[in-house]
Amino acid sequence: MKHAQAEILREYGPFEGADNVHGVTFDGEHVWFASGDKLNAFDPASGDTVRAIDVAAHAGTAFDGRHLYQIAEDRIQKIDPRTGRVLSTIPAPGNGGDSGLAWAEGTLWVGQHRGRKIHQIDPETGAVLRTIESNRIVTGVTWIDGELWHGTWEGDESEVRRVDPETGKVLEALDMPAGMGVSGLESDGGDRFFCGGGKSGKVRAVRRPR
Amino acid sequence: MDSLITAAARALATGDPLGALKRVALRDDPPALALRGIAMAQLGDLARAKSLLKNAGRAFGPREAVARARCVVAEAEIALVSRDLSWPEKALDTARATLEKHRDWVNAAHASNLKVRRLLLVGRLDEAERALGEIDPAPLPPAARAAYELVVAGIAIRRLRTKAARAALARAEHAAHEADIPALAAEVESASLVLGSPAARLIARDAAHPLLLEEVETLLASEALVVDACRHVVRGGSATVSLATRPVLFTLARALGEAWPGDVPRGVLVARAFRAKHADESHRARLRVEIGRLRAELGTLAEVVATKRGFALAPRTGEVVVLAPPVEGRHAALLALLFDGEAWSSSALAIALGSSPRTVQRALEVLVAAGKVQCFGRGRARRWMSPPVPAFPTVLLLPGPLPGD
Repeated sequence: MKHAQAEILREYGPFEGADNVHGVTFDGEHVWFASGDKLNAFDPASGDTVRAIDVAAHAGTAFDGRHLYQIAEDRIQKIDPRTGRVLSTIPAPGNGGDSGLAWAEGTLWVGQHRGRKIHQIDPETGAVLRTIESNRIVTGVTWIDGELWHGTWEGDESEVRRVDPETGKVLEALDMPAGMGVSGLESDGGDRFFCGGGKSGKVRAVRRPR
Repeated sequence: MDSLITAAARALATGDPLGALKRVALRDDPPALALRGIAMAQLGDLARAKSLLKNAGRAFGPREAVARARCVVAEAEIALVSRDLSWPEKALDTARATLEKHRDWVNAAHASNLKVRRLLLVGRLDEAERALGEIDPAPLPPAARAAYELVVAGIAIRRLRTKAARAALARAEHAAHEADIPALAAEVESASLVLGSPAARLIARDAAHPLLLEEVETLLASEALVVDACRHVVRGGSATVSLATRPVLFTLARALGEAWPGDVPRGVLVARAFRAKHADESHRARLRVEIGRLRAELGTLAEVVATKRGFALAPRTGEVVVLAPPVEGRHAALLALLFDGEAWSSSALAIALGSSPRTVQRALEVLVAAGKVQCFGRGRARRWMSPPVPAFPTVLLLPGPLPGD
């Protein structure tokens, strides 16, 4: 397993009216993050908030190219980002113990926090297709170039780690600096991860290793 | 943090413990146990809350020191509210150190606040004031700020600094309003009532009228010679003569104070001081002795002059008034002593009242049963005090003992 220090490229926030970052996603232009009762979007170039949608947003966030997906209580809401309307909901696989959310190749991937699991589910029905075990608390989840990454945060220790999507084996881990945790995770499709910083109210850009 | 825990914690933070319980009622993982514990505490089931938090603290993993420390702080708060002072103070100190080490300033300050409340509860006012001075209220969120200001007010009230108490209560009200927790706002409001209700009675020239705490403060700062039946002392200017261990002398001083500027007949003094129906020669002789002693005690404050039919007080300056507890009657002297806000042991009360420890004990039991007095501690460590002092919110303001946030 490769082990390295996470390299923080930039910090965004804290943002006005959002003291907690739960889930994070990227729509190709803006970074979205869940702050409890809102989904907020900011421009990663300027760091300026561009809009917000009033919707329950307690954990992971994902984007499928057209819709936002947002975990609230024990459900996953499908949201039209233009209107902010909730189009449909499906049950979350962890019965509310769900944390991270990612979209990849037609399915949703859901982190189950203390269950230390990642579920692949059908985005129409919520049916569980596959489950991977992790050995740490799972926070954010993201896919990039066929790699599955997840955040973990236990007490003062937090990592961004790449796991084998078949076996759950840890392949690579980036240690976050002391006092910085990863509550949500999303890749920008390139060299950066966007990491939610929980109660710090910040979103951090972390370099993705090559 | 997971989704339902986030939702439950948000409900709890806005004063909706039932909403929080609804979301995590069936879960037994450590964060859920902790949240259930806090919700139960806010709903008043302290015994259940205590066991849930204990279980949560045990269940958190070795990497979750902060979460465990927060459970300890929450447990300490429950112990304090339920007057369980046998709860280990040391555990709270250790938890606070852990929180500070991990830069959780808000919960560390909350732990300090609990420590001050505990000191206030056991009547260690000086230590409480010192510990309070070490807390920086600036970074506290509104709910914790309100709790802090209630403690500041509690100390100020016991020190008879009503202006400071009023200012602290105003800040507490503002913070409670900002926190938007209705039960907390109600708590501040009920604490504020203390300043608007009679704290004592003023007896001057044989007439009595109620005094607010503020008026007591003004009175004590004035030139008047105050025969203080709440603390069994005589004050004049900056001088104070304690007659707490001389009940007969205090009774005489009070009788003279109530009648001032008139005099009191010997027969009345004998009846009040010795509880004798008729004054015979031996009583008169004893009265002369006691008046002589009172004269010596009062020294420079006032002269006790003989008149044709009895005695009268002649203060060096100002007028004479008697400050009496708001309610007197059976065990009133005991209540008056306890009203000073200090924590008394029953043996100290017995000395002050000049009665036997057993008598005091019996009286205290009657007063506790009537809800007029509180006690805490066991055996020799047991202490007694009067209850109506704020700074102990029945609304628990526990921090969210949650991991990874």
